[in-house]
Amino acid sequence: MSEPGFDREWQLADLLDAASLDRLGSGLADLLGGATAIVDGQGKVLWGVAPPQARQEPLVVELEPIGFVASADAGPAALAGAARLLTAVLRAQIRYKMASTLHLEAVAEDFETLKRNHARLAESEHRYKQLSAELEKRVKSQVAQLEERQQMLYQAEKLASVGQLAAGMAHEINNPLGFLRSNLSTFQTYLEAVAKLGGRLGEGEAAWQDLDLPFIVEDGRDLLAESLKGIDRIARIVSDLKSFSNVDRASEEFTDVNSCLQHVAGVMAGQLPAGVELRLDLLPVPGMVCLPGHLNQVFFSLIQNGIQAVRDSGRSGEVRVSSAAGDDGITIRIHDNGVGMASEQLDRAFEPFYTTRSVGAGAGLGLATARNIVLAHSGRIGLESTPDVGTTVTLFFPTPK
Amino acid sequence: MPDYDERQLSFKLVYYGPAQSGKTTNLLRLHDLLSPQLKGEIMTMETQDDRTLFFDLLPLGFRAPSGLLIKFRLFTVPGQVAHDGTRKAVLSRSDGVVFVADSDRSQETNNGESFQGLAENCQRVGIDFERLPLVVQFNKCDLPSAVPEAEIRERWSAVPWPLVFAVALRGAGVEATFETLLRAVYRRHAESLELAGKHGLTEAAFVAGALGRP
Ligand SMILES: Nc1nc2c(ncn2[C@@H]2O[C@H](COP(=O)(O)OP(=O)(O)O)[C@@H](O)[C@H]2O)c(=O)[nH]1
Ligand SMILES: [Mg+2]
Repeated sequence: MSEPGFDREWQLADLLDAASLDRLGSGLADLLGGATAIVDGQGKVLWGVAPPQARQEPLVVELEPIGFVASADAGPAALAGAARLLTAVLRAQIRYKMASTLHLEAVAEDFETLKRNHARLAESEHRYKQLSAELEKRVKSQVAQLEERQQMLYQAEKLASVGQLAAGMAHEINNPLGFLRSNLSTFQTYLEAVAKLGGRLGEGEAAWQDLDLPFIVEDGRDLLAESLKGIDRIARIVSDLKSFSNVDRASEEFTDVNSCLQHVAGVMAGQLPAGVELRLDLLPVPGMVCLPGHLNQVFFSLIQNGIQAVRDSGRSGEVRVSSAAGDDGITIRIHDNGVGMASEQLDRAFEPFYTTRSVGAGAGLGLATARNIVLAHSGRIGLESTPDVGTTVTLFFPTPK
Repeated sequence: MPDYDERQLSFKLVYYGPAQSGKTTNLLRLHDLLSPQLKGEIMTMETQDDRTLFFDLLPLGFRAPSGLLIKFRLFTVPGQVAHDGTRKAVLSRSDGVVFVADSDRSQETNNGESFQGLAENCQRVGIDFERLPLVVQFNKCDLPSAVPEAEIRERWSAVPWPLVFAVALRGAGVEATFETLLRAVYRRHAESLELAGKHGLTEAAFVAGALGRP
């Protein structure tokens, strides 16, 4: 049941409360003299005592009487005047009641409107939230895609560097293998001569000379000495290679980084292009806990970059690798006197996808990957370069506290 | 639905429209022009600058042959945009509406917005706008800047509501507007209220009683 509206049919009792009735009634009684009553539209006495033979005057606010003033003693004119007076009061009262009730209804309506607007806002906020969640999802999937692509690029770089390494190693091993084979087959013919000597032992010294054995013995010694050297070389290459073979085995070891540098330099020494020298200036450093396979990759690619920079300069030059220990930690420098980089190149050098060469043709891992590995070792990597003068990459690994 | 009991039947009729279009003037003229059996005083609630703050109310009434008291309570709404809550409250429970438009060409936008507001507010207070007895009055036809009647008729030709042209200030068209609304109200409710059968009220008698014509 809703509240009755401002436009209800107002009854006398709605308009005058007991206190007002009392005030108005006693005033009218004093004016009219004698018994006086205020009666509602249904004949019910609201104030005073209705005398038996009373005269009554209607109180009309709209169309029909909503009540009466009754008096036994007042004259008709006085009673009519009293009714006019009371009607005027009722009119004022009804205006006030209607206005205030309407005001409340209007406020309620305005509140309804506010609530509707609020609901609309809430709805649009909800939509906005949905949209933003969707956007976030899309961003996440794109980031994942990017990461996947970067991973692929990293793999491509790794494959390229491993391929390059393998090609270099094959060449290096082929060389000694070539002369080992030729030496051994020559030695086979030498052994034939020794076998023939067995059948001509009766001829003595003459057979020795005739079968050219003095030369064979001399040359055989040389061949074997050279072959042993070749085998040592292959053994060394294989040992250097072993340090690369555990790249993906992420187990930490307590290692001397100088020996890592020596291994890497050893692998590369055989494949230095003409006009490029690789020098090691290593001072004793304390051992450190690291992933040697990963560090080797970093050293390999930084040295490779240096070699490439020297080649790109079109002059002969060198790549110098130095290490030194301080109180704070170990510093390793890879310096080359090659082409160098312009400041704009330098700024972008660590960007994941930045390269001045095409992917695959690059030397070793990108600098971004190198930096990731160094950071994973709590280290720092810095880059200084001057065009046409050269580049220095500085790695610093702090002493663990 | 009108208020109905065995004693009386009360219709709430609302004069709606933009501010200053002449709604209060309509009521004032009706009060002067009509002489039904029962005619109350106009209750106006205006601010000092003549603008209707809450509403105006003119009560009219007559007795049907059956003895039933037929009452009409004519209300105006405040036109100012800010008073939309009051407009809605006055509009609620209404049985018929006169939309008072201002013929002045400069008021076309205000008329349009106010009419739109009427349709929306009807929906919000639960009045079926499609079935609501509604008359559109174009007031102030005397203004030199008024849009000519032919042009208005042309533009409103597609709508189902009757149009009345008025100069409320001089009383012209005011009674015709009210009569048109009375007929629409009668047709809307005659059957369900058994006005003709039970109370002996034909449409002509209904109109004549309300206007106070013989
Ligand atoms: N020229 C002209 N002015 C009118 C007419 N009807 C009303 N007015 C004037 O328009 C103004 C607003 O009238 P009012 O009835 O108070 O408008 P309401 O705000 O709709 O109640 C008043 O100054 C009236 O005198 C008309 O037919 N012609
Ligand atoms: Mg007004």
